[in-house]
Amino acid sequence: MKRWLAALLAASLGACTTVAPYQRGYLARDDMAFEPSPGTVRALEKTYSAKEAASGGASVGGGGCGCN
Amino acid sequence: MTAALALPIAAIPARAVAAEANEIGFTVLGYKEKGLMKVTEPVLWGRGTFHEVWEVEASAAVDIISGASPQLVTNVSGRPVNSITAASITDRRNTGDAKLTRRFGDFAVSVSRTISDENDYKSHAFGLGAEWSLNQKNTTLAAGYGKSNDRVGSRDDPALHERRDTKEYLFGITQVLSPVAIVQSTVTRSAGRGWYNDPYKLTFTFFDQGIPLLLPDTRPDHRDTLAWLTRYRRHFPSAHGTLQLDYRYFRDDWGIRAHTLEAAWEQTLNERWSVRPALRYYTQGAADFYTPVAPSSPPAILSSDQRLGAWGGLSPSIRVTRRFERGISIEGTLGYVHDARDLRFGGSGSEAFETLRAVYGIVGVRYPF
Repeated sequence: MKRWLAALLAASLGACTTVAPYQRGYLARDDMAFEPSPGTVRALEKTYSAKEAASGGASVGGGGCGCN
Repeated sequence: MTAALALPIAAIPARAVAAEANEIGFTVLGYKEKGLMKVTEPVLWGRGTFHEVWEVEASAAVDIISGASPQLVTNVSGRPVNSITAASITDRRNTGDAKLTRRFGDFAVSVSRTISDENDYKSHAFGLGAEWSLNQKNTTLAAGYGKSNDRVGSRDDPALHERRDTKEYLFGITQVLSPVAIVQSTVTRSAGRGWYNDPYKLTFTFFDQGIPLLLPDTRPDHRDTLAWLTRYRRHFPSAHGTLQLDYRYFRDDWGIRAHTLEAAWEQTLNERWSVRPALRYYTQGAADFYTPVAPSSPPAILSSDQRLGAWGGLSPSIRVTRRFERGISIEGTLGYVHDARDLRFGGSGSEAFETLRAVYGIVGVRYPF
């Protein structure tokens, strides 16, 4: 699985082009953001992470909680 | 069971192009499990840029938790089942965090601080981050280091004062693929040492002969994890919609392997409205020391907490966004959570896993200024 993902990532990077600043109108859209609304992101992560063994991936230094 | 919480503002770029310079927001989560916990969480957050090179982000939240929680796993009926607490739990967690970033052209450094305080758990954490934009900002490399110092207590045992310390390391890359597509991939490793036992969980096992065993939740004194998160966004101008795909692979030295996949389509209906249906799938394998039934000669490390078992979950949701003048927006999200043993990928979910059903609603407002 990890090798497959690494190959996909490498292929994606190799296939990209240089996009000039004036071409980035679509990239500035809210729906193109990885985390457009911090409040919603925070609420959702707590919703799932309190019940799942897996957590994290996007940042560090977030601390922990009791989450019982 | 504790969970690492991500800052509301990620250590890696949240978007390829700088957003509004300053904005504040308020969000409220309401979450309700069938027969179990209820959570209400208001979140106040803000972010801004000043003097063009400084960025600050901060948030504060309160978790108000009430209801019942699975406390005991017992096979007294012949098969292992969860037994919930007799009394309703009420707890409140206060948390706040702040992050400061300084930009030096294509390079940026950041420092963050997070504090979380509840009756039986206190956490202080900090993070350091660096970003480097290359290739006319088409590529951004990110690295991060975080450390948290936690203190674990118990409502039921005032004498419990244990600690847990965790170090985290992050490396990520964000790559613009085309004028309409972008991908981000991040690997996070953590090394934790200290107290991981859940002070509220017990295993009560009966045998054909002999006296039953009542065992406290006992876990290793360390936990090393790896999380690999990859996110893809692709806009389709002719359809006025954007495909959003997120995949995370997780593993740890407790033997847990987990996959998370979320697919969403955000459809812009007009200048004012957009709608976003989404489906999240989660699957995990059990921890090496997970068992709902203790052997007659129990090992030193054993837990029947079903959150460490093998199971899978589906969570559909829908979000509606209403945009107003000057960039103000309100969004509402409704979601449903269904976790069950037979949703585990490939089958073989844990026998004692009891299906969890929950609904949640989130309402948020954003105000740029």
